[in-house]
Amino acid sequence: MMKNYFNEHAQVLLTTFGAVFLALMIGLLLVYLTADDFSDALVAFFDGMFGSTYAVGASLNRAVTLALVGMGFVFASRANLVNVGGEGQIAMGGIFAAAMALYGGVSDLPLGLAWILPLIIGTLAGSFWCGIAGVLKVQRGTNEVISTLLLIFIGLLVVYWSVQSDSLLRKPRTNSSTLPESAEIPESTMLPYLMDDSSLTLHVGLLFAVIFAVIIWILLNKGELGFRLRAIGLNDIASRRAGISAKRDMMLAMFVSGGFSGLAGAIMILGEQWYVTAGFSSGYGFDGLVAGLLARGSVPGVLMAALFFGFLRSGGLTMEMMSGVPSAVVYIIQGLVVVFIAGASRFADKRD
Amino acid sequence: MEEQIALFIASMIRLAMPLMLASTGELVSERAGVLNLSLEGMMLLGAFFASYGTYVTGSPVMGILIGVLLVLPVALLQAFLSVTLRANQLVVGIGFNLIALGVTTLSYREIFGPLSRVSLPGFDPVHVPWLSDIPFIGTALFSQNILMYVGLVIIVAIWFTLTRTSIGLAIRAMGENPRSADQAGLSVFKYRYGAVLFTGAMAGLAGGFLSVGDIHTFTENMTNGAGYLALAAVIFGNWSVWKTVGACLLFGAATSLQFQLPGWGIDVPTAWLLMLPYILALVAVAGLVGRVEQPVALSIPYRRN
Repeated sequence: MMKNYFNEHAQVLLTTFGAVFLALMIGLLLVYLTADDFSDALVAFFDGMFGSTYAVGASLNRAVTLALVGMGFVFASRANLVNVGGEGQIAMGGIFAAAMALYGGVSDLPLGLAWILPLIIGTLAGSFWCGIAGVLKVQRGTNEVISTLLLIFIGLLVVYWSVQSDSLLRKPRTNSSTLPESAEIPESTMLPYLMDDSSLTLHVGLLFAVIFAVIIWILLNKGELGFRLRAIGLNDIASRRAGISAKRDMMLAMFVSGGFSGLAGAIMILGEQWYVTAGFSSGYGFDGLVAGLLARGSVPGVLMAALFFGFLRSGGLTMEMMSGVPSAVVYIIQGLVVVFIAGASRFADKRD
Repeated sequence: MEEQIALFIASMIRLAMPLMLASTGELVSERAGVLNLSLEGMMLLGAFFASYGTYVTGSPVMGILIGVLLVLPVALLQAFLSVTLRANQLVVGIGFNLIALGVTTLSYREIFGPLSRVSLPGFDPVHVPWLSDIPFIGTALFSQNILMYVGLVIIVAIWFTLTRTSIGLAIRAMGENPRSADQAGLSVFKYRYGAVLFTGAMAGLAGGFLSVGDIHTFTENMTNGAGYLALAAVIFGNWSVWKTVGACLLFGAATSLQFQLPGWGIDVPTAWLLMLPYILALVAVAGLVGRVEQPVALSIPYRRN
């Protein structure tokens, strides 16, 4: 029994690292083929990841966003629900947090409430957005993959609408060249930095990611809720007979899952971007989704995957700026990781 | 007024066409029990390869053919993962879409350079004599490019094959009860591979229609969710060919309203109109407009004992 358990875990780790390694090698080959100067490109890549305290801070902040989205994904997946709509939930979280920070009258509140309240509103907005898919799933049996996907496009267009419309978030037009974006949020509503060092722009979002990781890990692995969700995930009908209210728990799983992405969106706006532009979520939701997939249900796995993709994306962007290798290479690497793991996962259980 | 309505109908059909090609292609796969979330990616690859083919050969017909042919190996790989390896079809689809986005963006920048907008030769409209003079719908229906008519013929052929032939019966059996189909001596693997390859070809054609047939250039991520809309159209259409086509026309109409409404003096935020197809799709997949009856074995890999 024990031996089998270890074998299984070793196999999962082996395929995961194997998939990541193989995908990275292919990515490297692509960089080699497209870069004018391979070594310059690699230097730029590492500079983007670790080259300066600023780069490290930016990568870690990015990893925080991905970790939150990924944790949301893992939480829902415990109940066998697939929330692929992180991108849309980030969008909703971001605009509601910005609206609260700008027009909610919170900027003079003490004790950090100036930024805590917008974070809460953003979390609720993301939660609501994913909750729609949860309600449809429970009430109408709608496939949550399709509904969360469609909600991404609607959410992104809500952002577009809100920065285009003067009666919503668009900043007052002072001249004809005023861009369609929101005003900058007041300084008191920006997330505080963790360190005084002005070059390290690491904000309190990191603490949230760590604290929530611990809470989610405990909830899923030690608590009754984790057990119930797993039971629903394994067998919806049997668990209902055992008195577990599947509908309520499935809905809860979706609301919580979306809340994480909503918080991620709020953190992006309050922590780094400070104003809303159309498309501000720029693929973070998909990166987080891949982190969640890669983690295969494990919370520590999400943190590792989020760090990995956070640094990878930062490196890719710097490489694009410095050496002209499109950061689209990162998409290819991510896609390959996902496909390799999906392909290998059935190899593993072929033995039974 | 007549001219405006004719314009509206023409633009609705033009916008619906890639969705119709992709969704009726996907319909075949889904009736055989395989879900291709990778439709978006395969469309994007088709759009890129067709542009590249047209750019190199100078001929839009060759370009579209090259686009369709080059998507086939991708579809084959997807069939290998979904059917042979029995991988999770949703996860495989998400992975393929990321790869397609990366590959097309990378290749586009390498070949054409970032932000370049190479104008590709397209198809001249074909005016069907007499019919194109019918008021309102004449120019909309009978002065379109040749690809439109080819597409319509293929869609009719799909409907005929699925509902009126033994091949269609076998395909549907794969999605309803693969075990009995297998026991009756039909190869589940062969049919499912064939269905996925066909879907790939249709997605490639849909992408080619979008880039070469309609926009005359390729832009990064130009499908921008069209593949997901096509998937929603299949659900909206309750896995029937004509209802799926109808769903695509509805999505096309919603999208084309953004160009028409300002001309009619109606001022609505563009975002609402852009949102409309997705909201309609969401309402549809929620089963708020009739019952959803998907093939029983959809997205369940078949395993022979």
